[in-house]
Amino acid sequence: MSRIGVFVCWCGSNIAGTVDVKKLTEEAAKIPGVVEAVDYKYMCSDPGQNSLRNMIREKNLTGVVLAACSPHMHENTFRKAAVKEGLNPYFVEIANIREQVSWVHEDKERATYKAMDLLKMMVEKVKRDRAIEDVRVPLTKRALVIGGGISGMQAALDIASGGVEVILVEKEPSIGGRMIQLDETFPTLDCSSCIMTPKMVEVSQHPNIKLYTYSEVENVSGYIGNFNVKIKKMTKSVVEKDCTGCGDCWNACPMHKNVKSEFNINLSERTAIYVPFPQAVPLVPVIDRAACLHFKKGGKCVKCYEVCGPKCIDFTIQDEIIEEKVGAIVAATGFDLMDNSLYGEYGYGKYKDVISGLQFERLLSASGPTEGVIKRPSDGKTPQTIVFIQCVGSRDPEKGVPYCSKVCCMYTAKHAKLFSHKVHGSQSYVFYIDIRATGKGYEEFIRDTIEKDGVVYLRGRVSKIYQDRDKLIIRGADTLSGNQVEIAADMVVLATGVIPKKGSDKIAQMLGISYDKYGFFTESHPKLRPAESSTAGIYLAGMAQGPRDIPESVVSGSAAASKILGLFSKSEYEVEGTIAGVNKTTCVGCFYCQRVCAYSAISKEEIKDRNGNVIKVVANVNPGLCTGCGACVNACFSKSIDVKGYMDDQIYAEIRSLAI
Amino acid sequence: MKTIINEQDRRNFVSQVETMLHDKLAKCYQCGKCSAGCPVNFEMDYTPNQIIKMTELGMQDPVLNSKTIWLCVSCNTCSTRCPKGFEVAGIMDVLREIATRKGIESKTEKEIQVFHKVFLDNVKSNGRIFELELVGKYRLKTKRLFRDMFLAPKMIEKGKLRMSGDKVSAINSIAKIFRDFE
Repeated sequence: MSRIGVFVCWCGSNIAGTVDVKKLTEEAAKIPGVVEAVDYKYMCSDPGQNSLRNMIREKNLTGVVLAACSPHMHENTFRKAAVKEGLNPYFVEIANIREQVSWVHEDKERATYKAMDLLKMMVEKVKRDRAIEDVRVPLTKRALVIGGGISGMQAALDIASGGVEVILVEKEPSIGGRMIQLDETFPTLDCSSCIMTPKMVEVSQHPNIKLYTYSEVENVSGYIGNFNVKIKKMTKSVVEKDCTGCGDCWNACPMHKNVKSEFNINLSERTAIYVPFPQAVPLVPVIDRAACLHFKKGGKCVKCYEVCGPKCIDFTIQDEIIEEKVGAIVAATGFDLMDNSLYGEYGYGKYKDVISGLQFERLLSASGPTEGVIKRPSDGKTPQTIVFIQCVGSRDPEKGVPYCSKVCCMYTAKHAKLFSHKVHGSQSYVFYIDIRATGKGYEEFIRDTIEKDGVVYLRGRVSKIYQDRDKLIIRGADTLSGNQVEIAADMVVLATGVIPKKGSDKIAQMLGISYDKYGFFTESHPKLRPAESSTAGIYLAGMAQGPRDIPESVVSGSAAASKILGLFSKSEYEVEGTIAGVNKTTCVGCFYCQRVCAYSAISKEEIKDRNGNVIKVVANVNPGLCTGCGACVNACFSKSIDVKGYMDDQIYAEIRSLAI
Repeated sequence: MKTIINEQDRRNFVSQVETMLHDKLAKCYQCGKCSAGCPVNFEMDYTPNQIIKMTELGMQDPVLNSKTIWLCVSCNTCSTRCPKGFEVAGIMDVLREIATRKGIESKTEKEIQVFHKVFLDNVKSNGRIFELELVGKYRLKTKRLFRDMFLAPKMIEKGKLRMSGDKVSAINSIAKIFRDFE
């Protein structure tokens, strides 16, 4: 027999001003099963909680109903109080008569009537409550970081420094990501590789970081605390531990004019056995088998092997699959640039001297194809006039993407500034729509570029670029003076829009995290949970989430790391017990539930007889992944799934109570 | 209107203006505060901020032939309010002077252009304004000798129009200012 205590809270005048709390209490006492009903000014206060505890103890209550504010506010408070008296916390129910009644209604009589209805429903629910235990999930205290750019590196370093083992997986032969391609960084103009290389070395030497370069994550299964990861380690054809990085092999490689360097974005060539750039970490070359003569001509060419001192080149090494167990994952897959050839009017691909911002970055870099001397790609002459075009693809909902790529305003100003520093007497023009310089010291940087370095900014877009002898003629608009303008330049640099890394959608699907229509990973909450993905145990960092600059990427890497260290600081991961459960007797194994589950929480389970023969296959809920959303309950044809605390009989009883 | 920006011409024009102005055109960030408060904006063909941008882009012809540079009454509201401390009214003066030196005659604001010359000549020879001489020469040059004549008695009565001019004592310093500018 149920022994239920009802507590009606006034919430000062918040509830009592609109709801007749005295009448509500009198009526509540008459409901069958209710032992006693009381009202109090503030139930959440210490005396309020004490009265609740006293009644549980003295009247030996089996359930408690509070008519009070939203459970979001104080459900936890009252559950904790009940636990102290030995009551299972799920025997505490709240009828929300503040947000759902007093704050939204004016008529006192009718508000009281509605409050009574809500209260009656909760009494019927609590009569049918069963004790629920919270689920405890064991934690594998290791982390996986996908992506070795600046945000991934930062996340790995922070986690590793917290004493947790980290596996860092990078697709390219070296870590460093996009940032190591840059020359100098805005707005302080510190050299990117100078601040980057020490960090890269730190990553490779950290005792807690296991680095897999030239590798890809191929499969991820499991759930928070217990992920199983399959990593495909593509063969480098080089025995890493023996390689000294001396460079004899790539100097000997005969294939030195045929392959465009990915790192220099097609502005130079590389050999078939190569390191992407001189400061690569690890400094171990890889053989590009698609370009290597040994693989193309049936093993004839072994020049690199011949010159190799430690004889660490091994053409027979195959791809390898490595399995790792981790408890948390950081997705920091980074970004790509949009395809410039979308805009035929800019002539990218048609005129050699129309290049992208990232290519210009390589031209500026001392380790770049021109060793930091700005030479235009067509004839190697140093340009005197450069036109920069901003918003190429960004903020263009028709042809490109509607969002702002955030970094272009600043790097374009930086390009123009560095150009004026490197080529004296030169002139830059920048076509822009708006200048977005909202970071620390950014606006000052832009103004400095305009006022001190004499860069001319024109507000407007470019309509056409064509060649006239050795000049490019740029026709555009200056909306501030209201003129169409034409400028003869030696080179054009396009500030191309940023898009998610190619294949990041596949990664998202593999990880079971959500992404927006552009392919950027979406946060669990855009403001209050920016480091978490939609799936527990998987965190986000860097440009994979959306356009951001270097400091923001570093911050996001650190944020993900601190979330993971926080998670790992407990011995087990605790999940609320209100999750779905399957009645395995009635389940027919249609797995419609599996199709509707947004959290991949439902798997197949075989039921076997004593001889080990499979009798039937039923659904099984993974408590680590289930959020108790209830989608499966609606989908189940045989009524075999219920969410604990929200069982069918409870819901029906709640509805029936309204008819009495 | 289409403008072909010639780098050398642009630089020459910008440096000429900046030297005379003692200010940098690039300071202007085109907020439009000057144009927003300009009391004669409604009569102008280009707003003050457009004049600044066009000068920066080296658009000599439209700038020097504009109504704007002659319509500016040098009230200095723009310069006073400019958040970047740019000499907005000053640039109008500089452009007027460049136009005058180039012999460009305004097609629409002939009288103002005449007044500009007479006024400066007056200051040059006296160090200050001698109103009677100024009015007389202006009326002679515009061939409208008797316009506004009826105002004269009242002005004389109130002491606004003196019959004899007096030069400032340091007329040599005034001459130096003009020399420096020219």
